[in-house]
Amino acid sequence: MSYFVDSLLAAVNLIVSFDADIYRIVLTSVSISISATLCAALLAIPAGVSMALNRFTGKATLQHLLNTLMSMPTVVIGLLLYGLFSRLGPLGHWGLLYTPTAVIIAEAILIFPIMMNLTITAVNSADPRLVPTLISLGARSYSLTLHVIRATRFAILAALVTGFGRAIGEVGAAMMLGGNIQGFTRTMTTAIALETSKGEFELGLALGLLLLIIAFSLNFALSWLNRS
Amino acid sequence: MKPAYELSNIKLEQQHKTILNISQLTIASGKCIALLGENGAGKTSLINLLAFTTQTNYGSIHLFGEKIQSKLNKKQRRRIGLVHQQPFLLPGTVADNIELALTLQGVAHSELSDLAQQALKQVNLVELADQPANTLSGGELKRVAIARAIAYQPDILLLDEPFSHLDQRHIQQLEQSISHFAQQTDKTVIFSTHDRLQALALADTTINLVAGKITAAPLLNLYHGKFKHHFFDTGKMEIHVTSELTNAQHLAVDPNQIIVSPQPLKSSMRNSFPGRLSLISEEGHAIRLAIECGERFHVIISPEALASLKLSLGDAVWLSFKSTAVTIF
Repeated sequence: MSYFVDSLLAAVNLIVSFDADIYRIVLTSVSISISATLCAALLAIPAGVSMALNRFTGKATLQHLLNTLMSMPTVVIGLLLYGLFSRLGPLGHWGLLYTPTAVIIAEAILIFPIMMNLTITAVNSADPRLVPTLISLGARSYSLTLHVIRATRFAILAALVTGFGRAIGEVGAAMMLGGNIQGFTRTMTTAIALETSKGEFELGLALGLLLLIIAFSLNFALSWLNRS
Repeated sequence: MKPAYELSNIKLEQQHKTILNISQLTIASGKCIALLGENGAGKTSLINLLAFTTQTNYGSIHLFGEKIQSKLNKKQRRRIGLVHQQPFLLPGTVADNIELALTLQGVAHSELSDLAQQALKQVNLVELADQPANTLSGGELKRVAIARAIAYQPDILLLDEPFSHLDQRHIQQLEQSISHFAQQTDKTVIFSTHDRLQALALADTTINLVAGKITAAPLLNLYHGKFKHHFFDTGKMEIHVTSELTNAQHLAVDPNQIIVSPQPLKSSMRNSFPGRLSLISEEGHAIRLAIECGERFHVIISPEALASLKLSLGDAVWLSFKSTAVTIF
C-alpha cells in the first residue's frame, strides 16, 4: 500500500513541480490529438451533414460500415498504416513512419467514423422543420450544409470533443506508427506503457493523472455543451 | 398570363401508401386559392409539393409554364414563399430570420435591413424586429414566418393551415396580412384549411382534396365507405346512388340540393331520412342547418325558408335528396 501511496505522492509532486519531461509529453500528445481532430473534422463534419441530408443508394450499407469502423481496434489501423508507411510499403518513400504525421493520420482515421456518425446523429436529431425551412427559403447544397452546421453547432462540437477524447487516449496506433521517440512522438499513453514497463511507476502515474484530468475536462465540456 | 402551376399525373407515395393522386390540376396565377380537405386528405403534402420541398414519385409539374425537372433553380425558388403549419424560426431575432431568408435569396447586404423592415411592416410587426424569435406567441410566430416568406417578394405564397391553433384576434390579423399580400398585382396565394367558411371568406376559388384526390364535389357532406349495388354504405346508413363506380370509397352530397321538411315528402326522391336538427348557423347570406340522421348532414337554406319552416333546435325533421345530388368517387 505504501508503495502505491508513495508513488502517487511522487506523481503529484512531478505534476505540481511542472516537470519539463512530463509537460513536453503532454504537449506532444495534445498537439497530435488536436491536429488529428481538426483533420478528421474537416472531412467528417461535411460528410456527415451531407449523408444526413441526402438520400442515395447504399446509404444503409454506408451507415453499417461506419458503425463497424467505429469499433475497429486501433492496432488494426496501426498495422495497416505500418504496412503502408514502412520502408518496403507503397508509401514508404514519404518517410512518415515514426513521425508525428503518421500518428496524426492514424488517429484521424480512427476518429473519422466516430465524428461522422455523431454528426449524422446531430443533424437527424435537429428539429425536423429545419431543413425544409432552409430549402424553402432558398438554401442550396453549400449554404444548406453551412446553415445546418450552424444550427446544430453544439451537437457537432460535442462530436469534436468526443473525437479528441478518443484520439488522446489512443495507444496502439501511436505506439506502432510513432515509435515512442522522446520529445518527438512520445505521447502520454505510449509513455505510460513504456515508463511502467521500465519500472518508472511514478512518471506513468503522473501522466495517467494528467490524462484523467484532460478526460474529466472534456467530459465536463461535453455535458456543458449538451446542456446548451 | 401563364398558370402558376400545372400538375399532370402526379402520384406521391410514402411507405407504400398513396398520399396524392392527381391526374390534372391547373392553378391560375394572381388568385387567392384555398386548398380544402379533411385532416389527412393530403393538403400538407400538396403544399410541400407545390413548394418543391417534396419530390413526386411520378408525373410532372410546370411552374409558370416551365417544367421543373428535380430541383428549382435560384430564380424559380425566389418565386415561391412557403409558410409551414408550425413555422420554424432559426435562433436569433425576428430581423435575423428575415435577413437570413433575404441572404439565401442572394439579396445584397446593404438592402437587408430595409427589406426586412418593409416585410415586417406588411404584417404589422415592426416593433418585434429585435425580439428573440423563441419568445414569440403563436400568432406572432406565424406572422413573422409570413414576413420572412414575403420579404423577397415571391410571386406565390403558400401557407399550410395558417389559421390552425390561433385565437380569433390572431386569425383576423393573419387574414389581414394574407389579404394585403394577395391584393398586390399578379400575386398568387394558396392556403390549406379544413375550415370551409375560412376558405369562402378569403379565397377566390377552392380546390377540394379527398384522400389525396382532387374532387369537384362539395365537401360539406363527405362520407367514407363502400359501394354496394346502387347504394353507398357509410357504415351508419345506406345512401342511394345512380353511379356504378364500384370501387368508390367516398360520397359527397350537395348541401344546396337537400330538402328539409317537418314530414316525409311524397316525391320521387330516392333518399329520405328522419333526423333531428342539431345546429342552426349563418353562412354568408344563407343558413346552415346540421341534422343528425345516422350521419351528420349539413343543409344550406335561405333565411326565408328557415322562417317558413319555423324550425327550432332539437326538432324532428326529414331530409330528402335525389340520387343525382350525390357524387361518389
